[in-house]
Amino acid sequence: MAREADQAIEVETLTKRYGDFLAVNDVSFNVRKGGVFAFLGPNGAGKTTTVEIIETIRTPTSGKVRLLGMDVTKKKRDIVPRIGVLPQEFSSFDRITVRETIQYYSRLFCCRNTDVDGLIELANLKDKSQEQFKNLSGGLKQRLGIAIALVNDPEVVFLDEPTTGLDPRARREVWKVLLGLKKKGKTVFLTTHYMEEAELLADTVAIISKGKIVAMGSPDALIESNANYLGLTLKSVDENVFGIVRKMGFAPVQDNHNGITVRVEHTDDVHKVLNAIKDAGASFLGLDVRKPNLEEVFLKLTGEALREGPAEGVPE
Amino acid sequence: MSPRVIGANLVVRIKTFSREKSAMFFTIAFPIILILVFGTIFMHQDDMSFDLYVQDLDQTNASAQLVKTLELNGRFKITKVAPAINATQYAKDNKLNLVLVIPKGYAGSLLLRMMLNDNTSVTITSIYNPSSTSVSTKMQVLNSVFGVMNQRMSGKSPFIRSVGTSILNKKYRFIEFFVPGIIAMTVMTSSLSGAVNVNAELRQKGVIRKLSTTPITRTDWILSNILYQFILAVLSTIAILLVSYAVFNVILQINAWLLVFIVLEVFAFAGIGMILTRVAKEAESAVAAANVIMFPMMFLSGSFFPLEMMPGFLQTFARILPLYYVNEGLRASMVFVDHMTALRFSAIIGVFATVVFIVGILTSKWEEASDSTVPPSCHYSRILSLCHYRLACSDAGCSHRSHFQVQRLAISTAFAPGRGLREVLGAQVSTIHPKKVNTLFPDQSGASGSVSDRINRKE
Repeated sequence: MAREADQAIEVETLTKRYGDFLAVNDVSFNVRKGGVFAFLGPNGAGKTTTVEIIETIRTPTSGKVRLLGMDVTKKKRDIVPRIGVLPQEFSSFDRITVRETIQYYSRLFCCRNTDVDGLIELANLKDKSQEQFKNLSGGLKQRLGIAIALVNDPEVVFLDEPTTGLDPRARREVWKVLLGLKKKGKTVFLTTHYMEEAELLADTVAIISKGKIVAMGSPDALIESNANYLGLTLKSVDENVFGIVRKMGFAPVQDNHNGITVRVEHTDDVHKVLNAIKDAGASFLGLDVRKPNLEEVFLKLTGEALREGPAEGVPE
Repeated sequence: MSPRVIGANLVVRIKTFSREKSAMFFTIAFPIILILVFGTIFMHQDDMSFDLYVQDLDQTNASAQLVKTLELNGRFKITKVAPAINATQYAKDNKLNLVLVIPKGYAGSLLLRMMLNDNTSVTITSIYNPSSTSVSTKMQVLNSVFGVMNQRMSGKSPFIRSVGTSILNKKYRFIEFFVPGIIAMTVMTSSLSGAVNVNAELRQKGVIRKLSTTPITRTDWILSNILYQFILAVLSTIAILLVSYAVFNVILQINAWLLVFIVLEVFAFAGIGMILTRVAKEAESAVAAANVIMFPMMFLSGSFFPLEMMPGFLQTFARILPLYYVNEGLRASMVFVDHMTALRFSAIIGVFATVVFIVGILTSKWEEASDSTVPPSCHYSRILSLCHYRLACSDAGCSHRSHFQVQRLAISTAFAPGRGLREVLGAQVSTIHPKKVNTLFPDQSGASGSVSDRINRKE
């Protein structure tokens, strides 16, 4: 079927159990060829289990998974040369340099002439190419891992939490590499628990929670359909503003910087609120109107926070 | 099987080896140091002499003559003890294991015996420390010297004479028996710990997981490891032979048996290593298990000293140790040039190697993730040191809990009252931001003495 040929990944009623624990619960989705597909969810949601089943290194308990039209449980040998994988917490041989590591992995795939310099360039590792793996920072290691995932010029690239544990700057560096990858038109399957990452890179986002996909679509569509409101924040407001807004039928939330946040349906409502405050002669110093992001979508859909506490990449 | 892949692996392994100083040391330098140390200790073993303290209470020409005779025997270095001293006290004070006391009247008794040819005898007292290990040998030598003297005085020629005929063409020195043992020991340690280290460490680090998404097969991987271990074994054997030749002038028979035994030994111990990495899940416990196997084997299988020195039951035990057959097989081929024994022992170790290696292949799973019964979130923790994480994981049966709960549990497990979290967790804690700890322990945050306060106080 022509339609099926467009699909890079087809997952049907996939279930994976570890003992009594249901890690992936009856999940079905398709990933089209080309573009970036992101699996967004907190730790332990079942992202990696699903990805590793598709990568052929874990076996499903039940369900069907096809990658490039091939059954992942039967066609490992045919699938492996056509995919590239950045595993979670990528690691390599400590004493081997960046260039040697890329060469090593390209030798594992067949005789194809890998453009090692091109990969080093793509991963922005030019001045680190003679550095041993153990001396690389977390971000550099991940970038090397991405370069390695591309040694066989794969049709589908899997990136399992490529930026987890990186500081914000290193994360941006990795994103730069990923945007370059996206430009090349590869099919990329990304898992992440950073919604900035999903919003920035993904064409399609699947939100996964407790082993189930709770929503799927483009980031904009997800926000549109699940969080169709605006967040209006007023800073340094007078004491009576809270009461004024509440009387209008909204539910303002007070923060500890003398500000309030109101959730409104429309831009018209913003005007209404501001006018009411003005009419009452009250004042405020700052104003911020914000469209919700995927995090709020996630909160609404699952009732749990996407990340546990502050980002793992702790500010320096 | 792909020679290209095996070659690529070999290149990586050899580069790693050449850049890793400690690996170089344990594979090449350590056996050489052993050779040098033991070779020097036992260099003069065959013409060993004893210290002998003699107190001459007689102080006559005849007694001086006796002391002279003992000295001329060549086995004793005589030190004289002044007659005025209490010999027992002297031995105690100076920690001597044997003091010989020639009694007063020695010359008189001797004269009586010579002149009258009666049965006058003289008693020479040995003051000795029975707990000393060398004293019995010393006394045996002494008694044999006295025996010869007594026999001579009787004026008759001895009835039984003994003549020794060596079963060897050449007299061998201790070092020549020692070198094959060191070769066997080195090949064992490098292939067993090599197999354990590479598999356990790379598995724990996730390199194996990455490799399982490439076309490399388990056969390629195992073969390249074996080949690498073999190259190392040959390298260290050459180093051992060269040093023992250069320093101690050890010349051993080098024939095909040497190669046969090295190959079989590499397979046998790499196989054991593969089984261990499968049985012990964590890198550290696999290494510990390898040590538990290696060390007793090293000492009990006759690598360092002859089996005859051990009690009977240990000798029997040694015969079930694979290293014993390598030791004795190598000695048979390199020292005694006894091809039949070498053949017999190589057959035994060959059967052992085949069995162990096959079991090793069967138990080691290449696709280690596919049969894993633990969800990935349990494998990947950058928050806590692995051991605490593991502890919490096994306690909590972490598949039933969220990642968050396991983290929290891990922190509380590691957190002993009175000690800072940083102290308990070491450097790992630098990846935990105090805010993070507070979210993990919401009940404590803000309170004085909160977890984060206590971390910071310790900094």
